[in-house]
Amino acid sequence: MSTTPAAATGGPAVRVRGATRRFAGAPALDDVTFDVAEHSVCGLLGRNGAGKTTLMSLLAGHDRPDAGTVEVLGEQPFENARAAGASLLVRDDQRYPDDFHLAHVLRVGPLFHPAWDAALAAEVVERFRIPSKPQVKKFSRGQRSALGILLGLASRAPLTILDEPVLGLDATARGHFGELLVREVSEHPRTVVLSTHLVDEVERVLDRVLVLDHGRLVLDAGVDEARDRAHVVLGPAEAVESATAGLRALSSRRVGGFLELVLEGPAAPATARAARAAGLQVRPAGLQELVAALGAGDAEPPATPRPAPVPSATPAPGAPR
Amino acid sequence: MLDDGTPLFHQIAQQVADGVVAGTFAEGAQVPSTTELAALHRINPATVGKGLALLVAEDVLHKRRGLGMFVSEGARERLVLRRRADLATTYVRPLVEEARSLGLDLDDVHHLIDQLDSEGAP
Amino acid sequence: MTTTSAPGAAPGAGRAARGPGASAVAVLRLQTTKRFETFGSPLVVLGTGLLATALVALVVWRATPAGSGTWVEVSRGLQLVLWWLVGYMGYNGVQSVATTFPLALTLGTTRAAFTAGTVAHHVLVSAHVTLVALALLGLEQLTDRWFTGVHLLDSRLLGDGDPVRLVAILFLSQLAALSLGGAFAAVWVRHGPRVTFASGVAVVLVLALVAALVVPGVADLAGAFRLWWLSVLAVAVIAVCALVQTLALRRAAVR
Repeated sequence: MSTTPAAATGGPAVRVRGATRRFAGAPALDDVTFDVAEHSVCGLLGRNGAGKTTLMSLLAGHDRPDAGTVEVLGEQPFENARAAGASLLVRDDQRYPDDFHLAHVLRVGPLFHPAWDAALAAEVVERFRIPSKPQVKKFSRGQRSALGILLGLASRAPLTILDEPVLGLDATARGHFGELLVREVSEHPRTVVLSTHLVDEVERVLDRVLVLDHGRLVLDAGVDEARDRAHVVLGPAEAVESATAGLRALSSRRVGGFLELVLEGPAAPATARAARAAGLQVRPAGLQELVAALGAGDAEPPATPRPAPVPSATPAPGAPR
Repeated sequence: MLDDGTPLFHQIAQQVADGVVAGTFAEGAQVPSTTELAALHRINPATVGKGLALLVAEDVLHKRRGLGMFVSEGARERLVLRRRADLATTYVRPLVEEARSLGLDLDDVHHLIDQLDSEGAP
Repeated sequence: MTTTSAPGAAPGAGRAARGPGASAVAVLRLQTTKRFETFGSPLVVLGTGLLATALVALVVWRATPAGSGTWVEVSRGLQLVLWWLVGYMGYNGVQSVATTFPLALTLGTTRAAFTAGTVAHHVLVSAHVTLVALALLGLEQLTDRWFTGVHLLDSRLLGDGDPVRLVAILFLSQLAALSLGGAFAAVWVRHGPRVTFASGVAVVLVLALVAALVVPGVADLAGAFRLWWLSVLAVAVIAVCALVQTLALRRAAVR
């Protein structure tokens, strides 16, 4: 509560410049550049196969980019002794050794993370009802996710990366996750990067969003800013088309005689007034709508260059922000 | 928290201000911490911080170093006065406009208000 | 060994401190988390192997009309325990990499530390079982071959009762099996099942070729000499496997 996040050390927790990673010739990540401010909660969004998991692997040091640089907490994370203990990536398809039970996981966590909070781990076990009898191998999808959340939260890793942490969780459990996450981040500040498809639910927990599509970064914005990035016009097809002529549509949807367009940028007041007068609905696009539109793949070629990265705080040591 | 179009930090500020007006948070009393509000509403603590900072700027709350956020002297009055001033734009104008769009004139609106009064609504 | 940041330390402390996951000891402790499976199960395997040896020997003895001399001979020649144990260690070796590496990586470790910790684990387990077997050998000799004359540990392949040879054979063969399992698991993690199978076949073919060329020449050499060569070979295998493991895991895309 007393220190503002980036002022503590200056410089972003994650610094990615031109990262590219190819698998079998095809780019899973293509020239990705962004920063993640220290102690922020950053959402990594996009369709399946957009490159989110690949990017998270790079951040965690599990993998190395084919081109470009990845810096985490000031270091390149791959095969890095220092970075290894400072970050943790829980995957959605995490494998555990045979015969591993909950008790083993609880025993193993503190070996790798000195700041491990056993009380928090116990709270997660209780809230999410993680069973202690069966092998982890036999856990349901939701129980595995809960276990992943346990590792992610209790470790207090300075960079915690969660790949689809709420997959398979029921609504009650998802509520617990949201509450625990923000409480943790508030009381013990750390940088969190998480990927999810439940954008609406998770949006309120985020500071910033990064959206990937076909390996490219198509949005890098604060959560509040994102509202200004697109607007929706809905109504009878012809009226919509005439009202939005000349504007760049990110996605379009036709149902019956109706047309819904997600258009780039905020609605110009004059255009909005005219559209409403014509009986059309005009409103800012919610984050989930924006993400869906960016992944729709039927956007017209960009008239403007891709979003520029947020300028990071001056990295000069000791310099006030 | 509803997605009614206003930014989330604004909604948080509104909620806390509502609490001050309603007397839930008395003058001089401490309001819930950033952590508590964040956890309660499951909102990013930075967003909560922004909302509370907004209230500090409006002189509704003040910060006591190391202790937390407290309701400032005269905060309730200030809020009530401000909301009274805003009543016209926030409620009356939309009421009149909506009535007009339905073909009712001001007399009809007065009539509706009298009806409400006689029904004993608060 | 490693410096760790204090819990709840000031932000930025994570940058300076050397993560403990980088330590091989953390990996070793991860590998031995399941106490019974690590230390108990191999002994169970050893025990059942010995028991099986005794039973099979018994069956054979009962089946042949000649005197107890045959039983002794049979039990001396039975190689059950060794193959049993080696096979089990091979499986363990695979497990120690295939399912443990993903978790270690998630928790935060370097490949180098993982390989070091895993090799240490293999050494520890091999030594543990070998020592127990050594103790059992002593017991076998004390009880005059389990009061019945049956040879369980005092068999030809286990060094004919010589404790030094027993230790060398058991320790190195187990360690080699673990290392091979680990190396193949690493290749599997990196390249998937097909490449692993193909490389396995290739290795077997190469070995068969080498054996075909070399064995006739050494057939007439003394047993002790052969053991010494096998020991060197085992150590070489272990070293190569550790190398293969590091290299394969380095680029492994654990997706």
